[in-house]
Amino acid sequence: MSALPPPVASPFDPPDPTSRADGWSGPLTGMIAVNDVSKFFGSVVAVSEVSFAIDGGVTALLGPNGAGKSTLFRMMCGLTPPSRGEVAVLGANPRTDRDVRGRISLVPQQDALFDHLTASEWVSTAARAQAVEDPDAVAAWALEQVELHDVGDKRVGEFSKGMRQRAKVASALVNDPEVLILDEPLTGLDPVQRRRMIALFHQLGDDGRCVLVSSHVLDEVARLGSRVLVIAQGRLVATGDYRDLRELMDDRPLRVRVGVSDPRRFATALVERGLVTALTLDPERLVVDTLDIDAFGRQLAPLAVELGVRLTEGTRLDDDLESGFR
Amino acid sequence: MTVDARAPARRAGRRVPPATAVSLTYGLVLRQLTSWGRIIALTLLSSIAIVAGFAHGASDTANLDDAVGMIAALGFAVVVPVVSLVFGGASIGDLREDKTLVYLWLRPIDRWPIVLGAALAAMTLTAPIALLPLLLGAVLTGVGSGIVVGTLLAGVVGVIAYVAVFTMLGVWLRRFIVWGLAYILIWEGFIAQAGPGVARVAIRKYTRSILVDRTGADLDLADFSLAVGIIVPLVIAVAAIVVAAWRLANQDID
Repeated sequence: MSALPPPVASPFDPPDPTSRADGWSGPLTGMIAVNDVSKFFGSVVAVSEVSFAIDGGVTALLGPNGAGKSTLFRMMCGLTPPSRGEVAVLGANPRTDRDVRGRISLVPQQDALFDHLTASEWVSTAARAQAVEDPDAVAAWALEQVELHDVGDKRVGEFSKGMRQRAKVASALVNDPEVLILDEPLTGLDPVQRRRMIALFHQLGDDGRCVLVSSHVLDEVARLGSRVLVIAQGRLVATGDYRDLRELMDDRPLRVRVGVSDPRRFATALVERGLVTALTLDPERLVVDTLDIDAFGRQLAPLAVELGVRLTEGTRLDDDLESGFR
Repeated sequence: MTVDARAPARRAGRRVPPATAVSLTYGLVLRQLTSWGRIIALTLLSSIAIVAGFAHGASDTANLDDAVGMIAALGFAVVVPVVSLVFGGASIGDLREDKTLVYLWLRPIDRWPIVLGAALAAMTLTAPIALLPLLLGAVLTGVGSGIVVGTLLAGVVGVIAYVAVFTMLGVWLRRFIVWGLAYILIWEGFIAQAGPGVARVAIRKYTRSILVDRTGADLDLADFSLAVGIIVPLVIAVAAIVVAAWRLANQDID
């Protein structure tokens, strides 16, 4: 992550914005440059002294709900000014520079759309609002990118949550943005669409665009890319490679709920094989802590077959950042 | 799902011409405001003017002063401001409340065309819903054509001024309906009645003045000339649009 502050000893050590590889202590630069930014809402500190810079490619912004991700995104798009510090996107202030807004696209977290419009109208309206030439053709192209071209005549108010998300992404593509900011864009998508959407983000990033995607789900981040910014309680707590973060997360037990027809017998077998470090039992399921989630996952189904019991559920209870910051 | 290299040619970073921005906002807001429930409720409110006009016309003691007083009290104290408040306040207020404003705000568009387009959309709905029943009511009073012309002129001026002011209120305040009603009922309906000085900052005084100028009726707090009655509300409307645009540019957007 070249434009990020230099690597730190632990991914959970807070990065020092004034410490740079080149020894220069001036403002960070990049397609998105956030320099010592804080945001207060009255006495509530939403974002506190955050600094980072990112360039082309896909970067994930990770953080539990309420960590300040959306506030940070809003500042990057100029929707709200920082209380302190500076945000520059493509070298300009997105709050005051009208032209730079035509080079940025935001997919907001909220579900709101102009529900009375058809998908085609929705996206072509976005294209017109970006002064795009031949907005209808661009809208058709954008809908094709998110595989909504077959339902272009349908009102977005009739769309499912996942289709609405894809419609929002389509409208964000119309201006060929150099910076694409997506706030929890995978929410509501089915696994297939999620995979395709992530592939789209990577393609956009590979083309040199700066694609910044927020999520609070670790598995999503694993597929989004290796560059990660982690924010918690308004502070940037880690920057760097996803794999470092994952390893650190794997050093603590992960909790899994397993639904099984004979929980007691299944639990005994799990303990005998050393797959769990703790468990609680009830008549229909058990909740286990495991240090090696991959081995646990691999052995779960074969063990059920071997014992002749029926598996009804396997849910990871803390595979999100909420658990990481507990 | 891949990015097609043959994507249509696009140009990012180009500014949207103000006329295009006004037209775009106008279309979006007009469709967003067109709720049948709202239209029916406000049409019923406005229709009271038809009933009142008919009752006045059917009365044996009908006279010009009473008819103009009725139109001023019902039409320009209630119908025009309330209908303007609902549509004007909601024109941008609703977009802000349902969080769709971001899709207009985050474009390379000046702020004033957004406000102007929204206000024009609100006027497009307010004018027929408020003015047609009022004009019919004026006709039914049976006191001549002066009251019809005066109602039309005062109505057009009133709709423009009230919608612009309430559009500004919708940009500025979340509870625009409460504050708008406070302005209509408390400021214009009570405080502005206290004297001619205070009445100058009430749109109602200007619409009443136009009505009196066209009819020659005897009404209190209606002593402005026709030119002042028309020009001042239009200046207020322009000022409201400018202030709303400034506010829109500087406020936080969800």
